Parts: sequence; C-alpha cells; structure tokens
Amino acid sequence: MGDRQAPARTDGGVPGVRRIAALVALGAVSGVLAAVAANAFVAVVGWLNELLLISPRSRVMETDARWVLAATLAVPIVGGLAVGLLHRAIGERRAHGPAEIIATVQTRSGHLPGRPALLSGLSALAALGSGASVGQYGPLVHMGGSLGSAMARLFRTGVTSDNFAVACGVAAAISTAFNAPIAGILFAHEVILRHFALRAFAPIAVASILGYVVAHAILPQPPLFQIDAAEIRHLWEFGPFLLLGVACALVAVGYMHAILGVARLARRLPLPVALRPALAGAGVGLMALWMPDILGIGSETLRFAFIDGAYGDLELLVVLLLKVAATALCLGMGFSGGVFSPALVIGSLFGAFFGTVMAALTGGATSALVVYAVCGMVAVTAPVIGAPLTTVVIVLELTGSYPLTIAALASVALANLVASRLFGRSFFDYQLRARGLDLSGGRSRALLASRSIADIVTPRFTAVPVDRTVAQARTIMQGAGVADASLLDDAGHYMGTLRLQDLLGAPDTEPAVRLQDPRHLIMTSDTRLWDAMQALRDFVGERVPVVDGNGRLVGTVVESDLIRAYLDLMGEMREEEHGTR
Amino acid sequence: MARARHWGLALLLACCGPAAGAPAELVIATWGGAYEAAQRAALFAPFTEATGIAIRTVAYDGGPDILGAEKPDLVDMAMSEAIAQCEAGRLRPLPHGDLPDGADGTPARSDFLKDTMQRCALTHTIYATVLAYDSRAFPGRPPTRIGDLFDTEHFPGPRALRRAPAAKLEWALMASGVPRREIYNLLSTDRGLDLAFERLERLRDDLVWWQDGAEPVALLESGRAVMASGYNGRFFSARLSGDSPIEIIWDGQIQEHQTWVIPRGAEHPEAAWAFVRFATGTPALTAFAERIAYGPARASAARLVRRHPEAGIDMRPHIPTHPYNSRNAIAMDEAWYARTLDRIRHRFEAWVGE
Repeated sequence: MGDRQAPARTDGGVPGVRRIAALVALGAVSGVLAAVAANAFVAVVGWLNELLLISPRSRVMETDARWVLAATLAVPIVGGLAVGLLHRAIGERRAHGPAEIIATVQTRSGHLPGRPALLSGLSALAALGSGASVGQYGPLVHMGGSLGSAMARLFRTGVTSDNFAVACGVAAAISTAFNAPIAGILFAHEVILRHFALRAFAPIAVASILGYVVAHAILPQPPLFQIDAAEIRHLWEFGPFLLLGVACALVAVGYMHAILGVARLARRLPLPVALRPALAGAGVGLMALWMPDILGIGSETLRFAFIDGAYGDLELLVVLLLKVAATALCLGMGFSGGVFSPALVIGSLFGAFFGTVMAALTGGATSALVVYAVCGMVAVTAPVIGAPLTTVVIVLELTGSYPLTIAALASVALANLVASRLFGRSFFDYQLRARGLDLSGGRSRALLASRSIADIVTPRFTAVPVDRTVAQARTIMQGAGVADASLLDDAGHYMGTLRLQDLLGAPDTEPAVRLQDPRHLIMTSDTRLWDAMQALRDFVGERVPVVDGNGRLVGTVVESDLIRAYLDLMGEMREEEHGTR
Repeated sequence: MARARHWGLALLLACCGPAAGAPAELVIATWGGAYEAAQRAALFAPFTEATGIAIRTVAYDGGPDILGAEKPDLVDMAMSEAIAQCEAGRLRPLPHGDLPDGADGTPARSDFLKDTMQRCALTHTIYATVLAYDSRAFPGRPPTRIGDLFDTEHFPGPRALRRAPAAKLEWALMASGVPRREIYNLLSTDRGLDLAFERLERLRDDLVWWQDGAEPVALLESGRAVMASGYNGRFFSARLSGDSPIEIIWDGQIQEHQTWVIPRGAEHPEAAWAFVRFATGTPALTAFAERIAYGPARASAARLVRRHPEAGIDMRPHIPTHPYNSRNAIAMDEAWYARTLDRIRHRFEAWVGE
C-alpha cells in the first residue's frame, strides 16, 4: 500500500530544521494554489448563476418572464445531465468529496488521485452553477486538499508530509471562502487530521494565512456571508441557547437521514445512475417555481433568515422543509456538492423559528432574532460536518462579536454530542462507515483495518498430505525442522493444522488428521491487520496458514511479522502525530 | 501646475484634434442651473478657447426623448438610462482605449474608477443621493445612520423623500441590517421588496413627497421636514449660500454615475468625442469638482481637488467619493435599475397611492 517513511529523517538537528522548512514551503505553495482555486471556483459559480438566470438579480433583470420560467425548469435538468455524464468518468460513478480526503488522511494511504478531483470539481461547478440545492464548501475543501496532495507528489514527499499538504490545502480553501483563517486552521485539524501536531500546525497556519492574504491581494472577494454583531439581552437566554442546540441536533439528524433516505430510494429506481441527477434537477425546478428560495446555495435565503419579519412564522418552517427536501433530492440522487451550505440555511431558518417562538412566549423580551438564527445555523452545521470548534470560530471571525460567539458555543455544546449518539460523528464519517471504513473506534483501529496482511504473507509452508499417518507426518515435519504443518488434500486445499508436540506421544499408525489442532486459525491475504491482531490474542504457534478464496493454501504469516507490521504502522502514526516513532 | 497642464492639453487638442473638418458648433444636452454653470466655466469655455468650436446647450431633465427631438451631439446622461439606451441601439459605442492617461501618468483604464466605462457611456462625475437633516430639530442627539430615518421614536418629525423608488428601497433594507453588497440581490426577490415596502409603510404617516431637486432644501430650511433625501450638491450649495441648518448624513449615501453619451444621430460624433476626451481629462475633472461638490471619475483628479475658486472653501470633505464620506456608500446598481425601473416604479406608485 502507501509508501513508508524512513524513521531516520525525523531526528532533530539540521536535517530536522530543513525538513520543517520544506514542510512550511509545501504548505505555502499548497495554500496559495488552493486559495486561488477556491476564489476562482466561487467566481465561476456566481458568473454561471447570473448567466443561467438562477440568481435572483439575473432573474429580475430578465424582462421576458417566459425566459425565467424556461430557465427555472430546464437549467437544473441540463445541469443534472452534465453532472451525470461527468460522474460516468469517475470509477465510483459519483463525485469525490471531504469523505475521501478524511479516509486518505486517516488511513495514511498516500496521494489523493488527481483525475476524480478534477472531474468532481467540474461536476460541482455544473451543479452549483445550474441552481441545484447543494453546498459549495465540500467541493472547495476537496479541491484544496487535492491540490495540496498534488503539490506533495511534485515535491516527492512521504505520506506524512502528503497528509499535512492536504490539510494545508483544505485550510486555505476554508480560509479563503469564509475570510476566516483561524477557522481554516481549526477545520483542517478537527475534521481532516484529527490530531494536533505542532509540526502540522506550522505549515497549516502558513497556508491558511496565505490563503487569506492571496484572496485579498489577487482576487478580492467579500466574505460569502456577513453578519453584524448583536448583543445578548439576558443571561438566562443561555438556557434557551442550550435547548436550541439539542433541537438543532435533531434537525441535523433529520436532514442527514433525509439525504440517505433519498439515496436508498434512488438505488431502487429503474433509472441509469447517470440520469438520476437530471431527475432531481427536474424536481428542484418544479419546487422553485413555487418557492425560488430553495434554488442554489441560498445566500439570499440565509440573509432573510437573519432579518426579523422577512418570513412569516409558519413560512419559516415551510421554507425549511422545502430546503431539506430539495437538498436531500439533489444529494441523494447523486448531484455533486456539499452538505455544509444547505445546513447553514436550514439551521438559520430553524434558529429564526425558535427565536420567534421564544419571543412570543416571553412577550418579546428576548435578544434579536439574528442571535437565534446564528445559534441555529452553527448548531445544525456543526454535527453535520463534525466540527463544533470550527463553526463557533467562524461566527467569531465573521462577526467579531464575542457575545454572539459565546451564544453560538452554548448551542453547539450539546448539539454534537446528541447528534453523535443518534447518528455518528458527522455525515462524512457515516458515508465512510457505509463504505467500510469505521472511524468511530479511533484512528489506530481505522489505520489497522485499512491494511491487509498481503504484504507479509510468505509462500513458505510445510504441507502434510491429509491421508498420512502420524509417523509419516512426524518425519516430514522433523525433516523440515518445523513445529507446525498444514494438512492438504490432493487439490491443495487446507484441511487443518498439525503441531509436532501433539504428534510426539501419539501411536505411529494413527491417521495424522485425527490429531489436528482443534483451535486452528486461518487467514486470507485480505484479512485486515486489525482482525489479524485480534485473532492473535488466542493463537499458539509460529505461523498462521493463509488460504485463497477457494480454500487452497497459498502461504503463511509468521507471528513476529504480524507484530512487526503492527508496530511499524503505529510507529508511522506516532511519527505523524508526535514526530517520534 | 494643473493650469499649465490644462493649457498643454488644450494646445494638443488645438493642433491634433478634429482640426480639418471641425464643426463650428457642438450641441450638448445638459441639466441647467448651477450644474451647467459649473460645466460652462470648467469645461465648455476652455474647450472653445482651445479648439474654436462653440458649444450650444440644450436644456434637458432626463428621459430618452432628448435623443429624438434636438439631435444633440452629446448628452450628459444618468448611467442607468445610458445602459438602457445603449441596449436599445440608440447610442454609439465609445473607444475607451483612446482616453488620455491621468495627469500623474496612470493609464486611463486604472485611473477611472470602477464601473465608469460602459459600452456607450463614460462616467465623468459621481454624485450622491444622501439623507440630510435639520440640525435645529435634533439639538441633543443628531441622527447619524440611515437606520435613524426609520426610527420615529428617537427622531420624530416629517421626512421628505423623493417620489421615486430609488434610494428608499435600498435604505429600507440597509436599516434592516442587510450588508451593502447584498442589497440589490435581495431587492431582486419578492420577499426583499415586500420587506422594504413593509419598512416604508411604518413611516407612511410621517412622509412628505418631493419631485424637484430644490424642494428638499426648502422643506428642511422652512422646518416642514426634519429629514430629507436629496442630492449632495444641492445641500452643499445651500450651505455655501448662507447659514443653512442642513447637515448631511453620509452613511448609506447612494452613488450614481453621470455620463457622457454620443447619440446614434449625432451630426458631429468626432468633435463630440474630442470634447469627451478633453472634459474627462484630469485637469477638466478637477476644475469641475472644485465648482460643484461631486466626485470626479478619475482617481488622479480626486487627489488634485482643492478649494472652490470663488468661495475659497476646501471642497474635499464635501465630495461623496472622499474616502471619509464613502466608507458606507452604496454604489447604485445602474444595470439593475436599467432593467427593472419600470416594474419597480409601478409597484412603488401603487403603494404611494394606497
């Protein structure tokens, strides 16, 4: 599997300094590229939305209403077709996203592939440009991470540096898109790396800051959303904020289940995978005829959620449900795009609704609606992306308001815990578990589960034909100088294990097969290192026989090789996280 | 210094301008009053002096009719209207690449401010619709923000606003906490318009409508209104001519572009363009801004603006594009208004008539 690093390079002294300088340079390059790409991506999406009559401004500026009607119905369908066609060229028939990045980094499996990254980026442009109800931060994060990995490949670094470069690209993408460099750094640690190594922090911080600087210097763009500071009127409102967090966790879980539910339905549809996004596009277009608020990323909808009186009380719930439905339809049917931006919209709508109810209950004594909308926004988003600290810091960086940040923190405090009990750490972790990578047991387990024992299987074994007597078997084993041997039939199928110590006291003429070890253990070359280590717990012997899919013996694994592989992998992980093996 | 350059440019035009087939007279449609007087002093007279081409003005107060009626060679037109007329094919595209560099050597493309060069129009001046108040009405705590227009509790009294949708809708959303750059995106939705009209509805009992640009000055000075929207140049002139109680609130000022356009039917398009090159050069823009409190379209000119030639007061703090005044300015989305004004005006008039 992935390339391994030599331990000698981690020593201190001059080589260590040089290595850190190289890491920081790698982070800087990745950060600049990711920032430019992120900015360009956002600009192209905006341009497409204007051109294709998706943005409200372009819709109202088109004087012929028939064009607007036609665009509303046709553009999402055509966008869906484009997405479907692009995804045909990707191995998995779907866009890659943050989940792929997390999997690659957590299991240290090397570089991110460039081709699916490019195709996923293009399909995300098609989806967002044509008004699908999906998010843009997922694609931005994936693009940033892939660029970082591509730079690491260019610099010919090892896996650890590759992981750091991926994190650098991700941090710069978030830093650029939100104008929030601290949030970028936190996101890379909290969601992607999931550890805090000082060696990683330096390049990531550099990348994040450069992303911020580049965004301002080369392609100045305003932050994707902007919130004015607001004050908390009463201390007792922190109680409602906590409660709002719990309610938001339920909303987040409902939102994520809605996406998964549509995905399950989609699999049963008698429709080719490539045509499903177009069907979702048709659905979104029809919904938008009645409620255009659900089209696209939803910047206007998000803004209205912050304004008291923009929506009627029940209208908030109607728009919320339609937004969930449209997003679940798009993402479930295989549109490319993220879960983050729709979560921001859904959360702020729910927060605004909660705030309206609170104001009604207390006779208008509560803080401004915007406070509740912001709390709802982060408390729905944090469990979806599994990043409580990042979302809170985004609020701090976008508003500069400390009271508002503390209110957001109160809402997030319980939201992630409740949602993780009901659903899992994040939507990405859920996706990965469905694909066979379980991160809930921690990184060491995921890392061990991601490697098979194939590399350490040796073709050496001692075979005893299954029809031999004890004396014959003993002769074969003593001749080979081994304590274990495998019983094989004529076709080479594994039939059992003999141990010399069991044969020593047995009658010579007895069939050897009767003395085989009743607790024998076999593995296949696909057996995961994690399962192999668990099995070793009760294993007595030198070698574990390894069979192929038909039960034929292909080789053995020596216990000491297994333990060495385990220690090497844990050493690599420590090397990445602590700089020492 | 500036005057020397001014003459240099004039000489250049005299020798290399449209010398051979130059017409005797150029017909320019413009807005009259103090505005035209400033143009005559800063632009028309020096141009005639340098080229020998006389300038005859045609009175005009906006609207597309001017293009058909008087067949002017050049029109001083609002940007949103210029964009609409350009799309209708009634104006000539302009060769912006042919504009002279700024007096400090900055190439024209970077010297002219953002969005000043459109296909058929070139901005020469940026003026602002601002909120102003009667300082006698609020002796203790004066209004400072656009939000105060809608705060009848702390700032009671009649408000005079122009009977047209522009500015009011923007201010209503700004007062609801919408960031400047999102205002037109939100006004593009039914929900945004509803929100703006709802906000205005709460002011209905305190509203006085005006239509002519001179009215808000009179309404404020006579005490019939405590706040009024109006053009910054008018309010400035009122201050200049006496001890007027009018104070401008620069927060939320709405900047609009005033442009030069050459109609398709112009008889002397070359001479008209020669005038545009002269009148949008750094010295001419500086001279004009020193006579009337509007922002020059070139950054190089804005830096040279000093004192009013007669009154002697420093003009810089009174110009809308001055960095201190424009911190919270809204750039009017002229392309947006060019396409939507009819529909929005319809809804606005229906609301006023309710």
